[in-house]
Amino acid sequence: MSRKTIGIVDYGVGNHTSVQRTFQSLDYRCNFSRKRESLAVSDVIVLPGVGAYPAAMSVLNDYGLVEFLRERARTGQPIIGLCLGMQLLADESLEHGITAGLGLIPGQVLPLRNPSWHIGWNTIEVTDSERMLLPSDGESVYFNHSFIFNSPREYQVCLARSSEKPIPAAVRRGNIVGLQFHPEKSQRAGRTMLKNLVEGLTCA
Amino acid sequence: MLKKRLIGVVTVRQGWAVQSFEYQRYLPLGRPEALIENLDRWGADEILVQCIDRSAIQEGPNLKLLKRIGALGLSTPLIYGGGIRDAEDAVKAVSMGADRILVDSMLWDVPQKLQDISRELGTQALIANLTVRVHENALLWRNYRSYQEISLKGDVLADINLEWVSEVMLTDWLHEGIPGGFDPRIPELYKPADKPILVFGGLSECSQIRHILAHSNVAAACVGNFLNYKEHAVQEIKRDTGEGLFRPAEYLQGGY
Repeated sequence: MSRKTIGIVDYGVGNHTSVQRTFQSLDYRCNFSRKRESLAVSDVIVLPGVGAYPAAMSVLNDYGLVEFLRERARTGQPIIGLCLGMQLLADESLEHGITAGLGLIPGQVLPLRNPSWHIGWNTIEVTDSERMLLPSDGESVYFNHSFIFNSPREYQVCLARSSEKPIPAAVRRGNIVGLQFHPEKSQRAGRTMLKNLVEGLTCA
Repeated sequence: MLKKRLIGVVTVRQGWAVQSFEYQRYLPLGRPEALIENLDRWGADEILVQCIDRSAIQEGPNLKLLKRIGALGLSTPLIYGGGIRDAEDAVKAVSMGADRILVDSMLWDVPQKLQDISRELGTQALIANLTVRVHENALLWRNYRSYQEISLKGDVLADINLEWVSEVMLTDWLHEGIPGGFDPRIPELYKPADKPILVFGGLSECSQIRHILAHSNVAAACVGNFLNYKEHAVQEIKRDTGEGLFRPAEYLQGGY
């Protein structure tokens, strides 16, 4: 059986090295690229990200990847967004002004309030209906963000609690999944989750 | 709920990991990668690599070291500090394997550049390090290159623009490397609004760490070479400091 290929979007933002090495250690072939034809033939496209929203969208626009990712989403190709990559899936963000996002999952990226930060290891609560993530229910994963993806409840598949109001930790719309945390930096728990996600999204 | 963090600190000088005493005397320990790899296996919550000579020699971040660290494929979040001069340096450090950036000299030299970094990497990626000691019931903030010290209050506090950082690390330089030496008054004397605090310098004992982390605004205890004395130090501190305070440490014999 041939190894599955993860197409990691190279848009010059963030710590792609960790993402790439994590998937490689899970025995996936990795293709770190901004070439559309190369990403299009991957089993899963991963949009990583450590950075600010406007800078990231600006680069995606410059590389002509915005329309490409929308087109891939329409075809049903699985896409996983990690941290900032998750937030880029939204309609827009208020980080450093208003910036239009990819619009792949309805919602708006808003600043966290009271407290303004969600940094560190937190346990996650997975909704019963989300079978791919259910094995990770109750696991601790690493968060580092000050904005949240405010999405309609129907797209929220996982939560974390830092104050009274729960924080959306994962969103899903069909084959598009966004994780607010960093599974690639969440040790065993993160790796198990990524494996389940890739296998779950590509099993059809 | 968010857990408190135990951050393993690796201090690097002239490219080598060192055991530091008050940032004045140093004992070589070996390759930084070896210590970093251990912390990754032992279940530290974050790893901080601080290259303490990069700003003084004005050579920018240690990208060669970061490249070697990046090749390790760490499963633990990595904070890098040392020689960051501007947003370009910070972006390079992140692209080579760092998840977050710690700045110190920049606060003295060009604090306005914090905003530039925030616009590139996001404020959550930025941590400010204040090297301090207690003097007459106040904190003295130390420029570790010139040894200048100024009282950390009033106008000085207002001038340190922390709007663009997510957390503040308070380093007790006077007790750094001294077992149990951390001055517990430090987090009581400086409480920036809405900024979690990380504390470092002379933290080694579980009771001491428990006491410091009891402050609601202290999010993390940073521990340096005390973690290297024995293989299970991370697990022991997490276990003995108090149930539920930290995420339990997992030990992976062969790495991730």
